[in-house]
Amino acid sequence: MVKNKKKNLYVDIGTKHGFLLLVYVVAAVVLNAVVIAGNEYLARATDSLLLGETVEFQEFFLPLTGMIVVGTILAYVQSLCGNNYSAKVQRDVRGRLGKHLLTLPYSYYDEKGTGSIMTKLVSDIAEVGRFFSEIMPNLIVDVIVVLTVTVYFLQMDIMLIVVLFVTYPVLLVVADKISRHLTAVVKKRRGSLDARTQAAFDAIQGISVVRSYNLDKVMQKKINYYIDDVADQGCKSTKITSMGYVLRHSINTIPVVLCYMFALHEVLTGKITTGDMLAFSVLLNRILYPLGNIVFCVNDIREVNVALQRVQEIYDQEPEESGTEKFSMEVAQGNGNVVEWDDITFSYDGERQVLNGMKFAIGQGQTVAFAGGSGEGKSTIFRILCGFYRKKGGNYKLFGHDFADWDLQAARNCFSYVSQNVFLFPETIWRNVAYGKENATKEEVIEACKNANIHDFIMNLPDGYDTVVGERGVRLSGGERQRISIARAFLKNAPILLLDEPTAAVDAGTEGLLQEAIGRISKGKTVIIIAHRLSTIMDADKIYVVEGGRIAESGTHAELIARNGIYAGMHGKEVAANE
Amino acid sequence: MSKDKQNGKKPNIFFWFMGLMGKRLPIYLTAIVVSIVGFAGSKIANAWLVKNIMEAAQTRQTDGLLTTVIINFFIIVAAMFTWRFGIVRYNIEAKRGIARVEKQVFAKVLRLPMSYYENMHSGDFMSKLVFDMERAGDIYGSRLRRLLDGFLTTVIYMIPMLVLNWQLTLCLLSVSGLSLLVNSIFLKPMKKMGSKLSGKNAVMTEKITNILAGMETTKIFPTGRQLLEDYDVANSDCYKIQKKTNTMSAALEGLNNLFDLLSSLAFLGVGVWFVSKNLTTLGELSAIYSIYGNFRFVVMEIGKYIPQMMNCVANAERIYDFLSLEEEPETYELSGGADKTAGIVTAKDITFAYKEDRQILENLSLDIKKGEFVALTGQSGCGKSTFAKLLLGFYKPEQGDLTIEGKSYSEMSLREVRDLIGYVPQEPYLFEATIAENIAYGRSDVAPEDVPMEDIIEAAKAANAHDFIMKLPEGYNTIPGERGNTLSGGEKQRIAIARAVLKNAPVLLLDEATSALDNESERLVNEAIERLCKERTTIMIAHRASTIARADRVIAMGE
Repeated sequence: MVKNKKKNLYVDIGTKHGFLLLVYVVAAVVLNAVVIAGNEYLARATDSLLLGETVEFQEFFLPLTGMIVVGTILAYVQSLCGNNYSAKVQRDVRGRLGKHLLTLPYSYYDEKGTGSIMTKLVSDIAEVGRFFSEIMPNLIVDVIVVLTVTVYFLQMDIMLIVVLFVTYPVLLVVADKISRHLTAVVKKRRGSLDARTQAAFDAIQGISVVRSYNLDKVMQKKINYYIDDVADQGCKSTKITSMGYVLRHSINTIPVVLCYMFALHEVLTGKITTGDMLAFSVLLNRILYPLGNIVFCVNDIREVNVALQRVQEIYDQEPEESGTEKFSMEVAQGNGNVVEWDDITFSYDGERQVLNGMKFAIGQGQTVAFAGGSGEGKSTIFRILCGFYRKKGGNYKLFGHDFADWDLQAARNCFSYVSQNVFLFPETIWRNVAYGKENATKEEVIEACKNANIHDFIMNLPDGYDTVVGERGVRLSGGERQRISIARAFLKNAPILLLDEPTAAVDAGTEGLLQEAIGRISKGKTVIIIAHRLSTIMDADKIYVVEGGRIAESGTHAELIARNGIYAGMHGKEVAANE
Repeated sequence: MSKDKQNGKKPNIFFWFMGLMGKRLPIYLTAIVVSIVGFAGSKIANAWLVKNIMEAAQTRQTDGLLTTVIINFFIIVAAMFTWRFGIVRYNIEAKRGIARVEKQVFAKVLRLPMSYYENMHSGDFMSKLVFDMERAGDIYGSRLRRLLDGFLTTVIYMIPMLVLNWQLTLCLLSVSGLSLLVNSIFLKPMKKMGSKLSGKNAVMTEKITNILAGMETTKIFPTGRQLLEDYDVANSDCYKIQKKTNTMSAALEGLNNLFDLLSSLAFLGVGVWFVSKNLTTLGELSAIYSIYGNFRFVVMEIGKYIPQMMNCVANAERIYDFLSLEEEPETYELSGGADKTAGIVTAKDITFAYKEDRQILENLSLDIKKGEFVALTGQSGCGKSTFAKLLLGFYKPEQGDLTIEGKSYSEMSLREVRDLIGYVPQEPYLFEATIAENIAYGRSDVAPEDVPMEDIIEAAKAANAHDFIMKLPEGYNTIPGERGNTLSGGEKQRIAIARAVLKNAPVLLLDEATSALDNESERLVNEAIERLCKERTTIMIAHRASTIARADRVIAMGE
């Protein structure tokens, strides 16, 4: 992660494989020279023919055959290098972005939404790939063709070049104007594409609401609006590009006609031969297309640039802040606290203060609970503990060391996390559990599942550990999913266990199994619980009551009841509700 | 395309896809032809110009040359504008055609049976679908025109070439034909590589989606690194396949170049011989060569675009398969037999199992009276939530009958059934829209923006949501974050309840609406529910004593 952050992803990788590009260019240059040499023969033959000499076909048959052989090989090399270059660049870009994704701060995903990041990763990378596989190689070849042919023309008659390029500046201006317009349209179109996908994604995610409220028409209208918008932008961009093409062609025709007329004049005045003129006409044909292309490549490049910037934006995103120290997960000398917070403040948007001078300390092996109403910032405590978000003010020490000094990965290795909303990956149960530890063995996974009281359940499934769970683990009940996530935490075996409303969504029948599993995993660990149900935290060594983003009271269950404050009030309500 | 025909009933995918254009198809095709004719016209005019000038060079006769040049120039310009007229129209039709297909596909996305959504991986599903649509859309947007262009232009160019000098033209054509033949040999293996490549691409997309969707897990556990490893493997596999494809296309490129130079040689050899035998003039020779330069290019394009077209058709086929998926039916055929008058909601002998799964419900019968507040309880896995899904018509009971408001489910459409139920799911889902719009979704009969703000506020007040909404910086215009970070579970739940309030349906169905809430939120939510259930029949799935206690009647469900 010690890299220059402002580095341009594509320039960096593009130059890394520069050798292939170089071979490509050399092959293109030589190939072009071969073609021009072939035309020389053509011109010479025509000249002698017109002079009334007999042309011996065999005379130039051999060199031309040689050229064909060389040309074929060169074309092969050129194509292979060009395409492999593009493939290598794409592979590296994908690889680096993938790696980068893991280092991005949690807040980035929260802000951008997975849908928009996904389009960037899938379609924008493909779009940029087009630059490396088509636009750039074509541009290079075009420039080479034009340059070599121009040099050849120069030897023939310098005035030809002047006439040929006389309208070029006009062409440049036109191309530039057009491409500016185009960039704006393309940008807008890409944005609408994102919105379309996101809207559809949204509808699918909330499908049970869409269904039960008969919202399909509303959702469809929303999606269709974006689809139409995409189409409109597409039409607009065609109008612009096609007009550009007409102009280019019309403008381009003038120098061609002039060139021919001029060449005719030169022939008539005897400055060049008729054979020269034939060669000239053949070569002129060869460069007309690339000549226009070079100018209008600007369009393509601008278009690709839009996608490129979107990809670059991900890459430019600063990785999560991280220290470099990998401290040991043992309590440093001193007060024996695993976690220490002093005067922590935090806000998501800079307006609504979520934590407001939070202060607490958690000793090794303690079980500590945070209680309080929703929206009081309990979940935020966890997010800051794990380094998903960074505190705005105050001091956070983990195992006696400032959290900012910790290597983030090492710091996260201290935590296991069992949350109220368990995310299961759409893979086999086996893999879902094994994600807890790198290179986990089959035995370890089974052991963890047994400890989490989920082994028997899994064995009863038709495919056992190979059962694939749905995206949101729909087929498994809340308690089952949670126990799988506990098994995952068992494998990780981290010194601090974070329990986020572990038994919230579970009914009495499975709560026993879950409680047992939690009791087992908590053994010898420092446990931090967030809970709404006070019944689940009564045995905690210490309970912190959170209100208004700070600790309002703390103590054991008994102490807090005796105090007759907020906690006692909450407890009273709960008891009353359950009666 | 021949492969598709083995599949009996399936229509020819290409024609099916073109058929989706409907009435616009003739306009679309005409536009393509106009653009091609315009383009070729300008090229031919160009060639004629060259011929005249070259002949003047040879014969040293320049009389009337200037007029010819000027006329030709204007023909070229006129032809270009014809081309533009065609190409713009064509593009508009193509883009509209794509939009039409997309609308169909997305409409379908919303109409599949519930089981489909519960079993799919939505990120993966979306990106595959979008990819297929994009590629299939290329048929309209570029591939068809390119191919038609190739074929039509070949014919158009061939005419003047044959007129100029047919012997020489045939000679050149034979070289082109040979190269086309060689190109076609490469088609099949290239296509195979293409489909392998897209398979690997799908794996990569899936892994990335997983990294994104399971962000918390990815960050805390070593999951991220493992997923990344999978991703990297897929990435380098992709590269390997790409490399193989590259070798093949390089070979093809080499051969094409061979033919290119060969045709130059043929032109030279035969042309020179022809001129020497006085069978042709130098002017004709250069005119032919000028057209042939374009012609050869076009023929090559045909060779290039046929495989691409085939790939696009393969994508269109996936779209076809998707569009032919079975949709959720309008209504379910049930065996009947329930006493419709026994209650506002009655169930008779309901038996249900998810596909190849254990039996979830067996002979379940219950009647719920109008105005009653019923709590459904039972162990997890006993089918409480499943029953809710059956009530909502998400699934069809295998056996038994369901009625609501005196009608069997088989007597009305699912849409009508759902209009009668206000549903608050276990995990409230908020759409990416303002809070106001999220509540307004409760009324499906009016567009969300037309729901009066007073109604929305009233519903929010009834759901105990108004106060906290007003405290948000943007109030009702707040858009909840993707993961609802700005709102707590209880807050989201209350918005979901406000939605149900606005719907004002006779039956209120709450699926564990308070199970994940703290006491304070639960109190607020329960207060709201109590307010609601006064005028309605309420069915609540719950396991918490505090919730159950409020019910008029508790129905305990067994295994």
